[in-house]
Amino acid sequence: MSLGLFAGQKAADAAALVPELDSVDYDPDGDAAALEALCDWCVRFSPAVAVDGLDGLFLDITGVSHLWDGEAAMASDLIARLAANAIPARAAVADTAGAAWALARFGRARVVTVPPGKQADALRPLPIAALRLDEAAAAQLPRLGLTRVGKIMDQPRAALARRFGMGLMLRLDQALGGLEEALAFRRPPTPWFERLAFAEPISALEDLERVTDDILAAMAQRLAARGQGARRFILTFHRLDGRAFTVSAGLSRLGRAAAPVARLLKPKLGEVDPGFGIEVATLCAEEVETLSERQSRLDDDAEALAQEGVAALVDRLTARLGEGRVFRAIPVQSHVPERAVRRGEALSDLTEGWDPDKPRPVRLFRQPEPIEAMALLPDNPPSRFQWRGRMHTVTRAEGPERIGDEWWRRPLDQVGSDWVRDYYRVEDTAGARFWIFRAGLYGGETKPRWWLHGLFA
Amino acid sequence: MTRYAELQTTTAFSFLRGASHPQELVIGAEALGMTAVGITDRNTLAGVVRAWTEATDKEKAYKIRALTGCRLDFRDGSPSVLIYPSDREAYGRLTRLLTEGQLRGEKGECFLDWADLTKYGEGQLVIVVPPSNLDEAFERDLARAAGDFRGSIWLAGSRGYAAQDVKRLTRLSEMAQTFRAPLLATGDVLYHGPERRPLHDVMTCIREKTTIQEAGFRLEANAERHLKPPAEMERLFKRWPVAVERTQEVVERVEFDLSQLSYQYPDEPVPPGSTAIRHLTKLSCEGARKRYPNGVPTKVAKNLRHELKLIRKMDVPDYFLTVHDIVNWARTRPDPILCQGRGSAANSSVCFCLGVTAVDPTIENQDLLFARFLSEERGDPPDIDVDFEHERREQVMQYVYERYGRHRAAICATVIHYRPRSAIRQVGKALGLTEDITAALANTVWGSWGDGLPEAHIRQAGLDPENEEIQRAVGLATQLLKFPRHLSQHVGGYVLTQRRLDEIVPIGKAAMKDRTFIEWDKDDIDSLKLMKVDILALGMLSAIKRGLDMLARDHRENCLRMYGQLIENHAQIPSADPAVYAMLQKADSIGVFQVESRAQMSMLPRLRPENFYDLAIQVAIVRPGPIQGDMVHPYLKRRQKIEAVSYPKPGPEHPQDELESILGKTLGVPLFQEQAMRLAITAAKFTDVEANKLRRCMATFKNLGDLAEHRDRFIGGMTDRGYEREFAERCFKQIEGFGSYGFPESHAISFAILVYASAWLKCWWPDVFCAAMINSQPMGFYQPAQLVRDARDNGKVEVRPPDILSSDWDCTLETASQPGSRLKAVRLGLRQIRGFKKPEAELLMQARVKGGASELAHFAQAGLSRRSLELLAEADACRSIGLDRRQALWAVKGLAPEIRAPRETPLLAGLPLFETAAALPAMSDTQHVAEDYRTTSLSLKDHPLAFFRERLRRMGCTPAGRLDDLRDGARVMVAGLVLIRQRPGTAKNVTFLTLEDETGPMNAVVWQRLFVENRRTVMTSGFLVIHGKIQKESNVIHVVAERFVDLSDWLAELKVEPGEQTICPRVPGRMVRSRDFH
Repeated sequence: MSLGLFAGQKAADAAALVPELDSVDYDPDGDAAALEALCDWCVRFSPAVAVDGLDGLFLDITGVSHLWDGEAAMASDLIARLAANAIPARAAVADTAGAAWALARFGRARVVTVPPGKQADALRPLPIAALRLDEAAAAQLPRLGLTRVGKIMDQPRAALARRFGMGLMLRLDQALGGLEEALAFRRPPTPWFERLAFAEPISALEDLERVTDDILAAMAQRLAARGQGARRFILTFHRLDGRAFTVSAGLSRLGRAAAPVARLLKPKLGEVDPGFGIEVATLCAEEVETLSERQSRLDDDAEALAQEGVAALVDRLTARLGEGRVFRAIPVQSHVPERAVRRGEALSDLTEGWDPDKPRPVRLFRQPEPIEAMALLPDNPPSRFQWRGRMHTVTRAEGPERIGDEWWRRPLDQVGSDWVRDYYRVEDTAGARFWIFRAGLYGGETKPRWWLHGLFA
Repeated sequence: MTRYAELQTTTAFSFLRGASHPQELVIGAEALGMTAVGITDRNTLAGVVRAWTEATDKEKAYKIRALTGCRLDFRDGSPSVLIYPSDREAYGRLTRLLTEGQLRGEKGECFLDWADLTKYGEGQLVIVVPPSNLDEAFERDLARAAGDFRGSIWLAGSRGYAAQDVKRLTRLSEMAQTFRAPLLATGDVLYHGPERRPLHDVMTCIREKTTIQEAGFRLEANAERHLKPPAEMERLFKRWPVAVERTQEVVERVEFDLSQLSYQYPDEPVPPGSTAIRHLTKLSCEGARKRYPNGVPTKVAKNLRHELKLIRKMDVPDYFLTVHDIVNWARTRPDPILCQGRGSAANSSVCFCLGVTAVDPTIENQDLLFARFLSEERGDPPDIDVDFEHERREQVMQYVYERYGRHRAAICATVIHYRPRSAIRQVGKALGLTEDITAALANTVWGSWGDGLPEAHIRQAGLDPENEEIQRAVGLATQLLKFPRHLSQHVGGYVLTQRRLDEIVPIGKAAMKDRTFIEWDKDDIDSLKLMKVDILALGMLSAIKRGLDMLARDHRENCLRMYGQLIENHAQIPSADPAVYAMLQKADSIGVFQVESRAQMSMLPRLRPENFYDLAIQVAIVRPGPIQGDMVHPYLKRRQKIEAVSYPKPGPEHPQDELESILGKTLGVPLFQEQAMRLAITAAKFTDVEANKLRRCMATFKNLGDLAEHRDRFIGGMTDRGYEREFAERCFKQIEGFGSYGFPESHAISFAILVYASAWLKCWWPDVFCAAMINSQPMGFYQPAQLVRDARDNGKVEVRPPDILSSDWDCTLETASQPGSRLKAVRLGLRQIRGFKKPEAELLMQARVKGGASELAHFAQAGLSRRSLELLAEADACRSIGLDRRQALWAVKGLAPEIRAPRETPLLAGLPLFETAAALPAMSDTQHVAEDYRTTSLSLKDHPLAFFRERLRRMGCTPAGRLDDLRDGARVMVAGLVLIRQRPGTAKNVTFLTLEDETGPMNAVVWQRLFVENRRTVMTSGFLVIHGKIQKESNVIHVVAERFVDLSDWLAELKVEPGEQTICPRVPGRMVRSRDFH
């Protein structure tokens, strides 16, 4: 505040005032997730915790404060622990949620405790914003000089209700205790989690496989009961000595049936070292989403079946080759070939196809490879070129397709029309087809060079 | 050598599709040696005149032809075509076709079907533009087109360096043969040179409302869509050489040229049985007899004869009759509309006698020559601009439509260009900069920005000018400047024709309902020598008219007693009144037409105008021309007799007195545009052609025209003849100044009439003046707060606040509280309450007249909205019914609900009928003043600064009223609300600030260096302390700023409840919204 900064200020304005200002992008989802995490963490103080708006938490501490030797001590402890985690916070304890809300934000101290029944006195000097009013009332009341909660309390109730509606009365009553306020308390999340404990520690591979089947089956049952499926299953074996071994499997499509997952997990069980024995196995399902039960219809077309088949193949290839090694090339709207494609999930659908007017090679090199070539005339393809030590004689060619660079990636004063590539589709005597290009123009500032960028089928 | 003409081009007038001006394409094509270039913008001819004007410029002697054409895009899916009308009649059909298409859509749209083209297809040369996909549908379309236009149809093919160009062209050439629509090589040009690719990509992003990163295939893959030399085209079309040569065939078949748009004036005003010239002569003579009731002077009669002879010779009497007809209609309304001609028409006795202009050109000592207005050598059609009351001009426009019909009268277009702010905003967005950064960049822009945005500005906005992204944005925005953005209607330029207007130019819809305008702007109209009348709106004419009406109504007896008549128009105002001049000499000119700006006010006490002609000089002198030419100070010195009047002389072999005759009446200093012109002809020996070009350059500010090319000729011409180089340079600088804002003498004299009229009202009837000025808002330089303040302080006028029982919508006059006062009291109107609507005011006035309403409930019953009543309450306008602000607002809130949500009714049902009184806290005086400012932009109770005076005194601030006591050069500290910030284009290195405290206004000057260092404070502060030095000259006091303290935060304190701390966040406070000029 002393630097002239305030919430709602434009970032550029703020940076102009305080040049060394550190700015962080607004991340509403991240903030909300963090607040929810904090909410879960607060369960250690009271089982009933509710998230309030963007920046607050409500704790119902009825009957638990004695564990801390009183409300004030409890609130102070909470604030101190938060501060230890570098979370600046303010707290207030009051009979009503409304009063606590008001005092936590507008009270004089970081921790305020209102004795039972005394909230009216505590609220009087606070600004009306402490009442959580709607915008219209918040704008109008000060015009009448009603800037403090106390001044509102002093007005005839009926006259106020008539002018500002029941919303104002509701907020006032909630703060003062005339009206109950229902809070949405957050329960600890139910994780998709299964646990199997064994009377006798196990160590044989067959046992591990059997346990895998059992625990997957239990999970599958629960998932099915809720109509859910998961993309990832993480199986952990806990050894007697406390060490744990984890194996996991990912699915390219949402699933829950035990058998396919087991097929993916079992080959990995060999990595598990049972040591002196395993006493507990846990299974976690992640990326859980609704999975509708599929009914095989009589006219279910072959394509869908093939898809299922491909899906199974993809899963097995992925399990064998590793994550991310099986992908689909997806077109990206860019003229520059290496930017015009990205790796997508193997079974993802194409929202748009490849443009037939712009033929692109099946195999595009990550890095174009230099070739030795000569062309007779500008705009002509080379008659021969040498690649990886072998000479290729060009028999047919198409092009050039001229592609300018993405000028916005370089400083404006360096943008020039020389930064182009002329691509040719060429075929050599052996019938192999190549995608080659010349970078730069003949007669341009720098000598053009030839590259090979991909191979056609 | 290969001959080639580029026949497929897209210019900047296909908005956001072409990245070159039409002129650039002509220049580029000429340089490459093409025989012709065709302009084919999408469904528009907006750019063709510019290209044609460039190509036919006699001086440049280009060989190239600019062909008039158009690309038609169809809504029915037919392939697009390029159309070239082969002759005048075909051209008329094309403009009708486009007009029809444009009138079908909303503004800026054009809906055409293939059937429209066949309907207007006779004589058109058609080039089919193939779509990207050469499918069977296209084959069918091509077959149909080839059938419709056998022998006049071609198929366009171009080489864009796509992967399969050759394959595609082979296919096209087969189709061309099959359907007998020969293949024609085109460049499908989007810009004249490849360096425009980045700009074009940015335009694409703006058009598609996307960013460069997201635009993908909507961008072009390369920079090949530029003009290419014929030899290169020949190489690219090696396999189809005829396609290149064939362009020549098309060019040769286009006989049409824009010069063929012969033109006739409408002949409506001529009564049957008479001829135009006979009728004009009759009207002129009648007018002369009225103007000179004691007999028409010989000089006038001679002038009339001479002028009429020339008018007949140039065959333009209809033009004068048309203008007379419009002016006469306005004057003969039951409630006449004030109007007055401006500009060079004031050189004409015919215009004066017809009543079009208000200046008698035969008066001694004026330099008004008919030749300036109309000359046979120049051959330009006459051009008359007439000002009307700004609020009633619409009536005049409707009359024009009624009289001549919409098919023959339409308003010109104005090309709206990208301005610095819009350019940086759009480019920033297109480059994907965040909203914040773009806004910060845009906000640093103040006024014009030439070669780029100064780094210092960028740095002050908190951004790094070295940053690549910022540089890219600024660089491209600078390129985008001056590109057309869209067409809008001109403020009042009408084109009238005898023949159907839509056979001359396409007519499109305007954003305003029932308004149409043509596609060409004033420059285009000028180039083609079409007839145009400017029907302009002038706020001051409304104010004068309102003032005179009010005078006749509210001061009837006084008027009759003092002037022996009621003054109905400004011509009847008693002239040469010394009191009026005395007032102006004191710089007491707030609100007076033209001489109210800071610069004018500081000039008045130095120039000390004593007569009417001095006013004309006063109007002309504080203009960019004389200031840039550094002519002001020499003139002042000579006028104040500090310096002897002398005339620069040429070499001894030339007549020594040649300048004396030109510059005699302005004491040897050129001040008027005519004088600059005559200097060019007499002293620099410009030929008629050269002088005409120079005049054109000066007359209108042209985006692309440049005066610079005349520079060497002018200065060389004068020095060759023995003038000093320094004098010549100053003269030329002045001409450059005229380039943007020319003020010819005739115009200055016309305006001087309004200066005198408004000054007279202010001098004698400040109550009337104040009310009339506020009622004519928005206009002029000052806001109601300053007008009110000036009326109270300088005019001793009693001003009363807006009131629910006494105020009308407009300000009115009431009996003054001081008995026997000649002046009346001004009652502010409800218009002064921010947000209050006129229809609500009318309801309120009716309720008072009908039912004697005297309570809030009565007005609510009369239909006033709850919102309006709240506004009245918050503006403290309910005192007359015994309620202060808060009480009134409480009462309004307590009125029976208008319509409330039904769920609340059961709860409210039990509320008592009579309420217990509310104990609302009383407002402090400061709060009342702050609320007055918030709701009515002024306060009659007190000045906000009065509350801070004690603190300011302790800081060492001097009140405005005490600045008189300080000597020149004294150090001083002043504080005030910032009313006006002004950076005149003429004085780039200085910023004027007008501050105000409770004792009056004061003026500060901020030099460039200081401004740069304190840019933010100076530009945004609402309450400023300035440390500086007093500068006194001829009783004009300025504070030359040296340091600033921004006290805007203090203003928030005014609003604080008594006994409370400020609780609002410290958002920089602004009590008054300043007016910023640049």
